Parts: sequence; C-alpha cells; structure tokens
Amino acid sequence: MSVNISKPSFQPYTGEKARISRAFDYLILVLALFLFIGSFHLHFALTVGDWDFWVDWKDRQWWPLVTPLMGITFPAAVQAVLWEKFRLPFGATLCVTALLIGTWVARIFAYHLWNYFPINMVLPATMLPGALVLDVILMLSNSLTVTAIFGGAAFALLFYPSNWPIFGMFHVPVEYGNGQLTVADLFGFEYIRTGMPEYLRIIERGTLRTYGQYATPLSAFCSALLCSLMYTLWWYIGKWFATVRYLNKI
Amino acid sequence: MKTLLIKCAVSLGLMLSLYALNVQTVMAHGEKALEPFIRMRTIQWYDVKWDKQQFNVNDEVSVSGKFHVAEDWPISVPKPEATFLNISTPGPVLIRTERYLNGKPFMNSVALQPGGDYDFKIVLKGRLPGRYHIHPFFNLKDAGQVMGPGVWLEIAGTAADFSNEIKTINGELIDMESYGLSNGIFWHLFWGALATAWLLWWLRRPLFIPRYKMLQAGLEDELVTSNDRLIAKVMLVGVPVLVLAVNAMTIGDYPNTIPLQASLDRILPLPAQVNAGVVDVETLKAEYRIPERMMTFTLKINNRSENPVQIGEFMSANVHFLNKDLQASYQGDAGTMTAPEGLSLENPAPIQPGEQRTMTITSSDALWESEKLDGLIRDADSRIGGLLFLYDTVVGERYISSISAAVIPKFN
Ligand SMILES: [Cu+2]
Repeated sequence: MSVNISKPSFQPYTGEKARISRAFDYLILVLALFLFIGSFHLHFALTVGDWDFWVDWKDRQWWPLVTPLMGITFPAAVQAVLWEKFRLPFGATLCVTALLIGTWVARIFAYHLWNYFPINMVLPATMLPGALVLDVILMLSNSLTVTAIFGGAAFALLFYPSNWPIFGMFHVPVEYGNGQLTVADLFGFEYIRTGMPEYLRIIERGTLRTYGQYATPLSAFCSALLCSLMYTLWWYIGKWFATVRYLNKI
Repeated sequence: MKTLLIKCAVSLGLMLSLYALNVQTVMAHGEKALEPFIRMRTIQWYDVKWDKQQFNVNDEVSVSGKFHVAEDWPISVPKPEATFLNISTPGPVLIRTERYLNGKPFMNSVALQPGGDYDFKIVLKGRLPGRYHIHPFFNLKDAGQVMGPGVWLEIAGTAADFSNEIKTINGELIDMESYGLSNGIFWHLFWGALATAWLLWWLRRPLFIPRYKMLQAGLEDELVTSNDRLIAKVMLVGVPVLVLAVNAMTIGDYPNTIPLQASLDRILPLPAQVNAGVVDVETLKAEYRIPERMMTFTLKINNRSENPVQIGEFMSANVHFLNKDLQASYQGDAGTMTAPEGLSLENPAPIQPGEQRTMTITSSDALWESEKLDGLIRDADSRIGGLLFLYDTVVGERYISSISAAVIPKFN
C-alpha cells in the first residue's frame, strides 16, 4: 500500500512571471512555425514531390496512397511532443498548416512568378481535414494505439474526398488530338515542362490495378493501413528527438 | 535554442537550394551535355524548320522536320520504348497546342523504332513576350534529352493579352489560365480558417512552461476542459461529415469525370527515307585526326539509281558539313552549326549509275571540337553515327544514307 504523501500542486503564473512565460510561448511558436514550414515542406517536396506539384500527376491510385503516407510523418512526431509533454492537441494541424504555407509560397514564387506556370496547374492538395480529425482523436482518446489505428486511418481515408472538391473539375474530359484527355492531362500537354516528359508520370502503374474502377477506395484503405504504421513509427521518432531538458531547469 | 536556430537556417537553406536546383533543371539547356555517341547515334534530326521566328502573343508558330532513329542505337542507352517529343523553353513561355508524328496527332509518350523514319510537327502559341532560345528535342526514357537544332524566337505583345480557351466534351468553354483557381483557393481558405480557429482556441492560453509544470504536477484534468472536449467531439463528427458532403456535391456537379489518361501512343515509322535502297553506302572505316579536327570516312558507295549522284553533306548531332562544290545541297538556313566548306571528297566526280566506288571523304571543322563531338574517342562507346546526303542533280532527287563506324583516333 502506498500513500500519497505530498500532493503535487501548481500555482498559475501571475505578473512578470506570466509575461515572460508567454513571451517564451510566442518565441517557441514562431520558431516552430518556421522550422516546420522549412523542414516539413522539404520532406514533402522530396517524397511526395511531383504528385503534389502538378495537376496531371494527381491520379486516383498513387496520389491518395503516397500523399497521406508521407503527410502523416511530421504530424505524428509533433503530436508526440505536444501531447505527451504539454497536452496540446494541435500538433497535426500546426504541421499541415505550416506545410501549406510553405507550399503556397513555393507555388506562387517558384512555380508561377519564376517559372510562369499558371497557379491552377500547380495547386497543392490539402490534408487539413485529416489533420484536424487526427488531433481531436488524440485529444479525446489520449492513446497512441487508438490514434494510430483510427486517426491514421481517418487521415488517409479523408484525403481523397477532401481534395476531390478542388481537383474533381480537372477530370472533366476533353476531346483533343483524336482522343480523350482530362483537363489536367491537357495542362501537362500544353504548358511545356522541359524536364518533365509525360512518361515520367506514375499513373495507375503497378499491381493495385486488379480491381479496375475501384482503384481509389483500394488505394485509400491500403494507405489507411500504412498510415497507422507510419504514425506509430513517427510518434516514436518525435519522442526520441524531443527534449524538455530546458524546461526542467526553470 | 542555438541548435534550433541552426536547424531553421539549415532547413531554410536546403529549401532554397532545392528551388535553385529545380529552376536549374528547367533552364538547363543540355545541348552538349550528353555524351557525343548518344547525340550522334539516337535521334538524327534533319530538315527542321520554323514557319516564323518573330510573332506576337496568341500567334501560332510551328516547327516541323524529320528525324531518323539510328539503327546503330548505342548498347548503353535504353531502347526508345518511351520517348516524349518536347520543346526546350525557359518555362511555358509558349504553349503547345498541337503535335503530330507522321501526320498523326499524339498527346502522350510514344515508342520509336530504331531504323525508323519519322516526320513531326509541333504547333505552339506565344504566351509571354521576350526573346527565347528554343529547340525541339526528345526526352528519351532513362537516357536524357537529345536536342534538335535551336533557334531564337522573338515574341512581341503583352502577356496580359494571352488567352487559352478550351472546349470540354460537354461543349463548355473554359479558360485554362484560371480554370478551377478560385474554387481551389476557396477550399484552401475554408479549411485554413477552420485550422486557424482550432489553433487559436489553444494558443490563446498559457502554453509551454505552465502546461508542462501542471502536467508534472498531475493536474492533467485542468489542461483539457469540458468545453475543449465538446468542441473536439463536434469536430470529430462534423469534419468527416462536411468532407463527405462536399465530396458528394462535387460528384453531383461533375458526374462525368474520367481518370488521368496515360496510354502510350503507337505510331509506325514512315516508309524508309534513309537507307531507302536506291543508293547504298557502307562505312568501311572512320578516322579522326585530333590536331586537324578532321574526320575521314572510307565509304563504299553503290549507285543503283538511273542518274549520277554526288555527295553533298554529312550531318551528325545537328552539325552540317557541306560540300562547297555542290551548291544545290543544303537547303536549311546557314546556322552556326554549319561548316559551309567542311566536306571534301577524294574524288569529286559524280558517281555514275551502276557504279560501285570505294572512296574517302573528309569532314573537317572546329565544330568537332566546339560542339564537343571529339570527346567520342575518349568514350567507352566510340562509334560515330550520322547521315550522308547524296544528290541527283538531274532530277533533283535526294538520297540519305546512314553512316556508322568505330572511330580510330590519330593523336598527331
Ligand atoms: Cu541551344
């Protein structure tokens, strides 16, 4: 039988102490925002890359598989820190917001102003609905297992329906050059990319195709399964990197 | 804190260098980047012409020409099973509106046959005013970019005038420059606003130090209030319902969508244009004298046509060596890649009908060096390839034969 000898307590900060602690909050937040804008955006550009850059890469098989799988990495790691140490349930939303800020800056400056592509050809996908759900599942469940299974799955499954309202209209068929194309394909044909020949696109290639027309749900469920594993992996990576060394000294 | 700053700086630096890299690949010209044996023995371009080189925004311009796919395709280059006929531009300063191979329109990548002859035409439309250096070229899968001849194009007018309207299969006219843009921005702003609200809901309270201390003190229950839980539950249900509802609405708005199209186009070669069997040329030997920048071929020529023929031109990797004594020969414009007196014959007399002659021809010019074709002798594959143009001046016929041989270097 153990007895609770000293009841732990914490008095909320007031006055100067509260002001300094708040200043620290802002400092960390601004730094974190820039860190995530830089690093998550880089990670995303190197892994998802062309699938997110170009409208004519966003196919129904690989795009909904690869994007959530690579997109759940940083959110999992940051959630591990923010939730475990601070009970703050916005790690995923913060990461994906930072990613989108970085992505939009890149699309407007690097792709549109610098390389003249129309912005509608290089619209980014959004993972924000999935990130919000991932955050609230973690908050309500307070469990890595539940979040990995249900949150990871939700993150993957919500990806395609969240983005279809943005990209669905680019799949309207066009009769062109004796064949049918989507508007998205036509962007790829008309707006010349010297280093991006058509054959580089990975459109419905591989072994997932057995079920033909059900390519998207199949990819989404496959992605859901993988996202659960990826989530767990990156949760531990986040935990491993995190340190509260500095806080313990205060 | 210091490490955090360093991390920020490093990631920002990496991010910027990635853009720089990206842009470089777009700008990179790569005319001489590939090994000479690839430039000389894969796609052999000839008769490439632009219908105009000065035009306005919205004007159409076309480039057409022919190419022979070398039968002596290098062993180290993957066979041309997926290739893409492209245009090298600094970004989409022009748009490509039509493209033909052997008269057939094609939108995707295409397989080419070694030994095959093709003609092509690409129609472009001016988009951004400026002066640009432009080539037609082939992206060869896993091999690189094989450039055709380059020109300077001058586009006048204003960028704001550019329009690109397309008719969808339902007959709806859409503006490609803005289609789906405001809709896309709307959804990004919509979800962005919701995410910002969620972030602000938490960020407005004291964060890191107090929460960490409270958690350490076991006051976990005070960190997440019942209001927080209520909002979270609403979001847990509301966000997926909203996503699915908007998705269903979009499907209702655009019921007839199709997946991205990615089939390989199948286009057969033309009847033989090169090595068509009237004048046969066999390359017996090729020798390159480095100090003189001079390539000497020993050829066995068999004229089976009904008139005498003369050798007028040797062409390789877009460099033209002309026989100065045969004025009829070269019809293209005299670009910087032409050596007007670069080709000399050991025996300039026309080759008579039925005659079989073994002779040497010499193509010499500094272009061997300036175009970095002489690097051939230091490559693992030192075979040369090119096209030899012979002319029948009586009826004005042209015969083309391919040249291919291992090159023997003479160092002094
Ligand atoms: Cu050039």
